[in-house]
Amino acid sequence: MRTPPADRSSPRFGLLAVLVLVGLALTTLWFREGPTGPVHRVQVTVHAATAPVGRVGEFLTTPVRRASTWTSNFIASRSEIATLRQQNGTLRARLAELEEARLENVRLRGLIAMTQRGKLKAMGANVIGRPTGTWEGFITIDKGKADGVESGMAVTGVSGLLGRTTEVTARTSRVQLITDQRSGVAAMIQSTRAGGIVNGSIEGDLSLNYVSKETTVRPGDVVVTSGIGGVYPKGLLVGDVLKARKDPGELYQRIEVRPTAQIAGIEEVLVLLSKPPAPELGTGE
Amino acid sequence: MNRTVVNILVVLGAVILQIGVAPYISIGGVVPNFLLLAAVTLAMVQGPTAGCAAGFACGLLFDLLGSGPVGPMAVVLAATGYIAGLLATNLFAEGWLLPLSVLALASLGAELTYALLLTLFGTPIPFFRSLFTLVIPGAVYNTALALLAYPFLARFLRRERPVAEFRRLA
Repeated sequence: MRTPPADRSSPRFGLLAVLVLVGLALTTLWFREGPTGPVHRVQVTVHAATAPVGRVGEFLTTPVRRASTWTSNFIASRSEIATLRQQNGTLRARLAELEEARLENVRLRGLIAMTQRGKLKAMGANVIGRPTGTWEGFITIDKGKADGVESGMAVTGVSGLLGRTTEVTARTSRVQLITDQRSGVAAMIQSTRAGGIVNGSIEGDLSLNYVSKETTVRPGDVVVTSGIGGVYPKGLLVGDVLKARKDPGELYQRIEVRPTAQIAGIEEVLVLLSKPPAPELGTGE
Repeated sequence: MNRTVVNILVVLGAVILQIGVAPYISIGGVVPNFLLLAAVTLAMVQGPTAGCAAGFACGLLFDLLGSGPVGPMAVVLAATGYIAGLLATNLFAEGWLLPLSVLALASLGAELTYALLLTLFGTPIPFFRSLFTLVIPGAVYNTALALLAYPFLARFLRRERPVAEFRRLA
């Protein structure tokens, strides 16, 4: 006996056609209107309104995630591993900074005027939201305009660059991770000063692009921000070179980079409040 | 309870799960899509028209929760909800394996179409790499979650006709 389709509506293709057109119109509008347009503003409002839900999720799952990490590290002492990891991250960052300072010192020696790099002012923030979809790499932090955060500020972890703030509301900010497919960071190989752009990808891997084939790049080479573009301060640790390949027919090398910062599961971040100084282009004198 | 109210509650529940739970149970970068599960379940229980409307609402909310373009997932889930509703109406009324097959196909189709739409709108997506690292694993993950959630959700949505009484129609 057939079950009567009492609660099954008859198909209305017209409704589907209208909704598809509305969806496509919204998409077009989103691309054309710019970041201050009405659709973007609705999106920012939704992010701000739903941030507390993310915060609750973060709070509730923290013990589970910590227990999971603890279980996976049960062979060694949990506190010992945490301390060593933190020390390792700090030392690697310090080493990169020192190497950067040394190379900078070498380059600047002999010049009459030597400018001193300004110290960057930073503020700690907690992660309260993580990517809600497979196709994006954004996190939400619990600091916003009220705390002095502005759009475009660099965000770092203990051991390296994480990304930059994009949407800033009164109490929260969205951070585009360097692993996001739409992210691009002006960077360079620390030892050779060969510059390029570090791009994220859909899988969350990093690649250093636009590095000339004439430059020698080896696995393990440190990649730092170059400061070009004025978004990220110069010398922030981005990652290490995993592989470098020179394909015939390609103009540039294919360089895979492993991010230094522990992006998955990160709980605290640092927002660099002072924006990098604009690059001096010369006075023309 | 009014059917519209129930549908809204299901969608809101999916939104809360998408923000508060999905990011924390992601595996290898694959985040489960509770809004897709809600849309397809509503479509299978209530037919193509309701599925289309629910899919559009779920997709729009998914887009608004993310930082990407607003609209592509609304288009994809509206179409997915419509097709899933048509399949459920024309092929069978109930049963465990077939609804899950529809959910798996819907998940795979939705993620693939979403990737294609993003590419069309200028976001570079390596097709084969994302197919094997994100799309197929995502479909498997969503289907596994549907295996747990669908029976309860279907019962909740169709309490006047217990699931056990349904028979396959085709």
